[in-house]
Amino acid sequence: MADQSGSSGQMGAGASAGGFWARLQQIPRYYIYLLLAAVVIWQILFPIPFPVTPSATTRGLEEAIRAVPEGKLVLISADWDSSTQAETGPQTAAVVEACFRHRKRFVLMTLSPPMGAKLANNIASEIAKQYRATYGVDWANWGYKYGTSNVLMAMVKDVPKTVGSDFYGKPVKSLPIMRGVRTVKDIGLVVEVTGLAGMTEMWIGLIQGPQGVPFAAAYTAVMAPGYYPYLDSGQIEGMLVGAKGAAEMESLIARPGLGMAIMSAQSWAHVLIILFIIVGNLGYVLARGREKSG
Amino acid sequence: MTGTEIAILWAAAIATLSVYSILYRENPVSRLFEHIFVGLAAGYLLVATWTQNLQAKWWAPMVVEGRWYWVFAPVIGLLFYFIYSRRLSWMARLAMGVFFGTAAGVYFREFFPLYSPQVWASFKPLRPIFDAAAPPVSVSLAWWNAVIQNWLFVAVLLTVMSYFFFSVAHEGRGGRALGRSALLGRWFLMIAFGAMFGNTVMARLSLFIGRVQFLLYDWVGHYWPWLAGRGT
Repeated sequence: MADQSGSSGQMGAGASAGGFWARLQQIPRYYIYLLLAAVVIWQILFPIPFPVTPSATTRGLEEAIRAVPEGKLVLISADWDSSTQAETGPQTAAVVEACFRHRKRFVLMTLSPPMGAKLANNIASEIAKQYRATYGVDWANWGYKYGTSNVLMAMVKDVPKTVGSDFYGKPVKSLPIMRGVRTVKDIGLVVEVTGLAGMTEMWIGLIQGPQGVPFAAAYTAVMAPGYYPYLDSGQIEGMLVGAKGAAEMESLIARPGLGMAIMSAQSWAHVLIILFIIVGNLGYVLARGREKSG
Repeated sequence: MTGTEIAILWAAAIATLSVYSILYRENPVSRLFEHIFVGLAAGYLLVATWTQNLQAKWWAPMVVEGRWYWVFAPVIGLLFYFIYSRRLSWMARLAMGVFFGTAAGVYFREFFPLYSPQVWASFKPLRPIFDAAAPPVSVSLAWWNAVIQNWLFVAVLLTVMSYFFFSVAHEGRGGRALGRSALLGRWFLMIAFGAMFGNTVMARLSLFIGRVQFLLYDWVGHYWPWLAGRGT
């Protein structure tokens, strides 16, 4: 967007003509950043929220969690780390809340990157306290499992043997939640929370498709558009898109949390960006018009 | 908060501000913290791989349970390092060959279940018929909705595919028709890219908001409780 000199973008056709409209295309980028930061800080401190309406994709995920049969587990694959935490953290929290809310037992697992196991564990432990849920009975964390596709293929045959020990180093066989869990077919729903491309392809190609295990996902907003075709084909039951998806899930289960907290700042920052786009384009078109006319 | 926790809080705040200092201009402080972040991630990967995988699945079976043959596992892994020897680099290729072969096999296995449902799903009924046993609440509205969506889907699919069809020159009667279809396909692609870019902006803003929340609620809020209270 901006060069090192501080002006925002190239000067465009009309810049040489000078004038007010041409200057609109040369606003120093620092002003844009500062204005954006000011709007975000204002909305974090004094939020004026926009209404959050759950989308069909979020409803799909909530219904998929609801539909998990008694006796089967929800597997939340927390494949994210601190670099996407602002989006994937609230998403994980919203999915965990939904599981507790609908009384579905769940397990966390991380295939990549390893930090996800710890960060998701922190979130689940905090929420578990509110629901007085017991680790090992109502939920568990299988931890970080190295080997991605090899792990999934091994889980098809024997889950406890593949997982081995949990996040705390305890053999998963000793956890009450694992009673009756032998193969991947004993999992009622996989929810992939990630900012990494490629994870969904593995889950669908190795587990959802061949084994028929329902699959849903929560993606960072950057990568979500690429996965709409999977929704259309029914390979993905439901999807959370960015922090907005987390806020929608929170509104569905009536538990405002981290997602909602982001949304007012997010919405007002978008308003500002839309204004920038309008002003920039207006400047470009009018400056070009002036240049052509004289 | 303990002294260690406060030190961690300050380290996180300084790291955040240092990384964002690149918004002003390229500078060594920002670079330093960028490298620290990459180093920390690599270190964390090493420790997590040991504590949560190798210790339980390799070290314990070998040392505690006496399954001595696990000692050969790292030997195979170490073959990779023969890449640095011109004379013995063929040994590294053995290990790489196994990895490439496995990856290719897994990919072949994934491919059909991954893409075939999308091919089937692209055959949309242009005149939809609802399930008589469970009709939608408003049949006519739902029908028109499905009709519009399906026609639009097919139009976008065909025009975008025609954009990537390079075997026929856009000349002559048929060629010009293909050219117009490709042009329309390009417009559809631009609309899709625009939507993707919008999502990218949303994602980047979320990351920024997350950091500002940390700075205000946790860091400054630790010394100014009113701010911390805004975040609860």
